[in-house]
Amino acid sequence: MAKPGGWAGKVLRVDLSTGRISTEDTIEKYKDFLGGTGIGYRVIWDEVPTGTKPFDPANKVVFGVGPLAGTGAPCNGRTAVTTLWPTCWPKPLVASGHMGGHFAAELKYAGYDAIIVEGRADRPVWLQIEDGKAEIKDARHLWGQGIRRTTVEINQQMGPEASVAAIGQAGENLVPMSVVINSYSHSAGGIGGVMGSKNLKAIGVRGTGSVRIAGNKEEWERVVKLHLSLLGANNQHVVPNSPQPWAEYYSAGSRWVASTGRQWGAAEPNIETGACNPRDLNKIAYRTNNAAFFLGDSAWKYTVRGNGCTSCPIRCHTVLKVPKVSSKYGIPAMGQNTCAGLMLGRGFFKTFPDGPKGETAIEACMVGIHLADDVGVWENYGQMQRDFQELYYNGTIKNKIGENEFRSYSWDKYEKGDPTFLFELLPRIAAKEGELATALGMGTGYLLERWSIPEQEWQKDQKVAYWKMGHPKHHANEDAGQCGVIINTQYNRDAQCHSHANFTRNGLPIQVQKRLAADIWGSSDAVDAIAAYTPMNIYKAKMAKWSLLRKELHDSLSLCNWMGPWIASPLKERNYRGDDSIESLLYSLATGDKKSREELDTVAERIFLLHRALTIRDMGTKEMRADHDTMPDWVFTDPAGKDAFTQGTNRMDKEDIKLAMDMYYEEMGWDKQTGAPTPSTYKKLGLGDVADELDKRGLLP
Amino acid sequence: MEQREQISLAMAQIIRARSETGQLVQFEEIWTELTGQGVVKSEVADQKSFLESILREAVAGNEDLEEISGKNGIPHYYSALSLSETYAGILIRKEESSLIAEIVRENSAIYPRPVPLDFFKESPFDLTQQEILDCLGKMGEQGEYQDIAQTTTSIGTVFLYSNRHLDPGYASILAEWFDVGQINSP
Repeated sequence: MAKPGGWAGKVLRVDLSTGRISTEDTIEKYKDFLGGTGIGYRVIWDEVPTGTKPFDPANKVVFGVGPLAGTGAPCNGRTAVTTLWPTCWPKPLVASGHMGGHFAAELKYAGYDAIIVEGRADRPVWLQIEDGKAEIKDARHLWGQGIRRTTVEINQQMGPEASVAAIGQAGENLVPMSVVINSYSHSAGGIGGVMGSKNLKAIGVRGTGSVRIAGNKEEWERVVKLHLSLLGANNQHVVPNSPQPWAEYYSAGSRWVASTGRQWGAAEPNIETGACNPRDLNKIAYRTNNAAFFLGDSAWKYTVRGNGCTSCPIRCHTVLKVPKVSSKYGIPAMGQNTCAGLMLGRGFFKTFPDGPKGETAIEACMVGIHLADDVGVWENYGQMQRDFQELYYNGTIKNKIGENEFRSYSWDKYEKGDPTFLFELLPRIAAKEGELATALGMGTGYLLERWSIPEQEWQKDQKVAYWKMGHPKHHANEDAGQCGVIINTQYNRDAQCHSHANFTRNGLPIQVQKRLAADIWGSSDAVDAIAAYTPMNIYKAKMAKWSLLRKELHDSLSLCNWMGPWIASPLKERNYRGDDSIESLLYSLATGDKKSREELDTVAERIFLLHRALTIRDMGTKEMRADHDTMPDWVFTDPAGKDAFTQGTNRMDKEDIKLAMDMYYEEMGWDKQTGAPTPSTYKKLGLGDVADELDKRGLLP
Repeated sequence: MEQREQISLAMAQIIRARSETGQLVQFEEIWTELTGQGVVKSEVADQKSFLESILREAVAGNEDLEEISGKNGIPHYYSALSLSETYAGILIRKEESSLIAEIVRENSAIYPRPVPLDFFKESPFDLTQQEILDCLGKMGEQGEYQDIAQTTTSIGTVFLYSNRHLDPGYASILAEWFDVGQINSP
């Protein structure tokens, strides 16, 4: 291979115990793992001993980006943060959090593909990285500050273009449910406490370099334009949510909310999104308004614009300006976030005086954004709020926290849906103040254990949406039947996989989806209409495998799995086909390492296999099928008592799911009885050394 | 350029321009605009059949130009470069009492999914709440619309569906998914 492009070429290693800073050659050591989670898993496998706890100095946290970060490839702004996961219950295991923003690009421009942080500083510090130089700086003046203040102070030192990834008081106080945030609203959940345990307040990074594209520049431009042409709105929804002149199809469930007459009402002057014909690549940013999608039409008048990550035209973090919240709650009028982060404040409440999409709900979102994104509390994909509601309304909170503490909260405000209640709750979670806040901050699994609530109780209740190991479902059977179930069994936190859901939710009619599915997974039987699931077949197993591998591929290249893959498009002239090889085209041109779609998927499979090996090693068992790849009881129930495989239910069938797991394991080359990968699979994917280590521990099937 | 060819080109441009604004155009409107442009002389009776024949040729000779007629049989024209068949199909039925029922049936059949009532307040339907309720009231009295049914989600949103394509239980869970489930599972 000629001089590689894509990668910056160096991995930065920072030992906070000794203050030693060193670098390693990315290509030499990590090329077979691309970057992102690939580097993260490799570091944890090689360097973090079994039995290490998340907040031990021996734990490491790897901020990994990929060869496409900082290039012109669309949607390349993701940083994967890999470590031992503090909310993984009953035993911490490897997992990753993912933040967008501008950290990934700045890190590349500064000359690095990853930062490995190890040890523990003897006092609060922050890490300054600037154009090939890294320095550990005193952070005692920042300790105790929120994320916003910390970011401002570091930006004042490094300049406004530096990207600052900081923790708040929650991380400092070793709250497991805490985040690191860069670029104002781009968070990676679960990481805050791990950084806090290392006395690492923040990482500021600034680079003025560039990323070399190894391949033909004209071809690179062509592929980037092809990729742009395939983009839909957020989550790769490829049809508008109301009929538009250019559109053959539409779906009220689509995040493509632009339409003639719809305006960003708080922009000065107001901006009309227009019909957003997909051929107009200069208006991609107008398609998505996640505030309007999630909070209702009243959010349009508060919309300033969309914000987002490096090189991403989607802008899924909607910037809102709600002037009345300043006087009413004492918070800034402007705020931004997307999806679960946007709805964090609203999620705690069961009701609001003016309904779920009224003004009070928007105010609750603004309060939630300004509190949680400053003190650094993580909501675990809404699980914290679902737990809170359930525990309050079933009387558990009152029974568990003692009368004095219970009376210290304004429950009348809570029940009325008054957002000021959040000022009582969120800062206490960050400070571990009192039993309720402490328990909520531990994460669901540890909370249930602390309060002697059997996990099975949470696994019976569909509305709590709890899955396993302390974490919720994340696009499971409700999105893709058996495929969603398989995917949700595989990780040590919520699955965070969008490959399948971005397809099933894309808004195209089921027959069009089936036609596209036949192209990708071999048969139209791979997908079903929502809530009309059919029995398991091998094509669904292929879809599950493909979905997981693309997730790991995206996480390792720095592409956004909240947008990709791009196998459907908004283009009628392409029969709504996307391009399943867009990742390999971009990778090959950026790096000069020519790889086909299949070859790059093989690398993704290696990365995912290493995650599996780490899980097996640190659980100390090969019995993954029985002990790890589990699903909650509610998957096999229906609120109306409908049978599985009838229209109008997401209910799965136990025997059918057993068959689904059999087929999936077979597709993966894993032992069907244990769910553990076979030695030949490890060797085939270049992980013979990993197999040897597992063999020594008796962890091969 | 021959007059016939010149008129044909002008007609195609008028249709395309109208489509770019999201609208259909009728023959009479084209004729008026041609007159306004001075492409044809002031209206005289014998010009009508002459211009109609050119319009037919223009539609046949330009791949993007399409003709569509509603129940009243009056032909309308559009360019597929700017307007989809779906959108044109909505526009041509805008004044027809069956519009809501037909849109609901199409959605129930092909996606499949129920349609929120408020959907018809949006462009290009642009109906008021009262117009929607009046329409539903009339449909309830007519035998041909007895397949159009309603379901209400847990947060009170009313959806319409056709029971020819969705049974009530299926329609209910789909409505709940689009209105509540998707939002709570972002």
